[in-house]
Amino acid sequence: MSVLRRIPVWVWALFVLGFLVLLSLAPRGHKENFNVADEFTLHPLIKLPKVGPIDFSVTKPVVYLWMTVAIIVVVAIVVSRIMKRRPGGLQVVIETIYQLAYDGIAGSVMKTGIDSWFPYIGSAFIFVLIANLIGLIPLPFGEHHQLAFYAATGNLNVTIVLALLTFVFTQYAGIHAKGGLGYVKSWILPQAPPVLKQLIFVMHIISEFFRIVSLSVRLFANMLAGHAILAVFFAMALLFQSYLIGVVLQAGSILLYLFEIFIAFIQAFIFAILSAVYIGGALEDEH
Amino acid sequence: MNVAAIVIAAAEPTLAQAARLLGAGLAIGLGVIGPGVGLGIMIGSALQSIARQPELSGDIRTNMFIGIGIIEALALYAFVVSLILLFVVK
Repeated sequence: MSVLRRIPVWVWALFVLGFLVLLSLAPRGHKENFNVADEFTLHPLIKLPKVGPIDFSVTKPVVYLWMTVAIIVVVAIVVSRIMKRRPGGLQVVIETIYQLAYDGIAGSVMKTGIDSWFPYIGSAFIFVLIANLIGLIPLPFGEHHQLAFYAATGNLNVTIVLALLTFVFTQYAGIHAKGGLGYVKSWILPQAPPVLKQLIFVMHIISEFFRIVSLSVRLFANMLAGHAILAVFFAMALLFQSYLIGVVLQAGSILLYLFEIFIAFIQAFIFAILSAVYIGGALEDEH
Repeated sequence: MNVAAIVIAAAEPTLAQAARLLGAGLAIGLGVIGPGVGLGIMIGSALQSIARQPELSGDIRTNMFIGIGIIEALALYAFVVSLILLFVVK
């Protein structure tokens, strides 16, 4: 950290200028017809064979998920090697995130089973957070290798897997804590009149399955809508062919970009805390 | 010539196509009224409770964000339905 402070300002200015020059020399894309469905088809980057119904080719979301895992693993290993008693910089950030996940998410919502379920909840939080944030960095994965935004969690397949993980862990936690029959019995509200009892039971089953839909679609639609609005605003700044409107809309796009960073944090937090609520709800004793 | 034929066919709206676009617009338009009102009520009451007891503002803020996430998901369901109507249904 102190090394960065000693670098004079003109070196930073030169760095930014060089980056802008390189950016202007980057290859451009050009499209004649704009077909929206083509924007969402995934082209395999490394074509691998199909085993049964599963296609193992490496596509853009796969590479982004690998990058997420690589970043998390590298940062974790580096921080655990350089841990000091009086922490500086990176260790403070990681400790803040850990404390947020432990006290803020798992500790504030779950009554029992915090220590056994915190690994999943913390991992879900960190994974969704880093995957959302990587989606806001332009990387050269566009066609013709242009710089483009893409969020791994903006793909329904990824978020359905995360929601299914929460669902499976919820059922496992309930069955492990209460036994199979006891867990199913915990869905019945004992002090309700008989007809309502069956209705509440059926509605609870439906709501358990609807949680998969709601968790996945919330994360997916937030990331997708965010990137779509960002694309529209950045394009509108060029569309009107007027310098004034271009500057104003560019400023608005930057504010929207900052809002997208905030939404990335919030969606990761909400995914983790709802998973904690569901798992804690399956573990708790009295209804 | 092929491109011109496709463009003309796309510009000529059939009843089904017009209904589809109308449905997409109505889905997102009417769909965000409820979550908008709900978010206003929830954040308003969160602000009131923070004003009453400022020492609980951290807890209240945490629960407010959970509530925001759940309510905004409803608006996003409407958005997803409108996207399906626009881009998936022929």
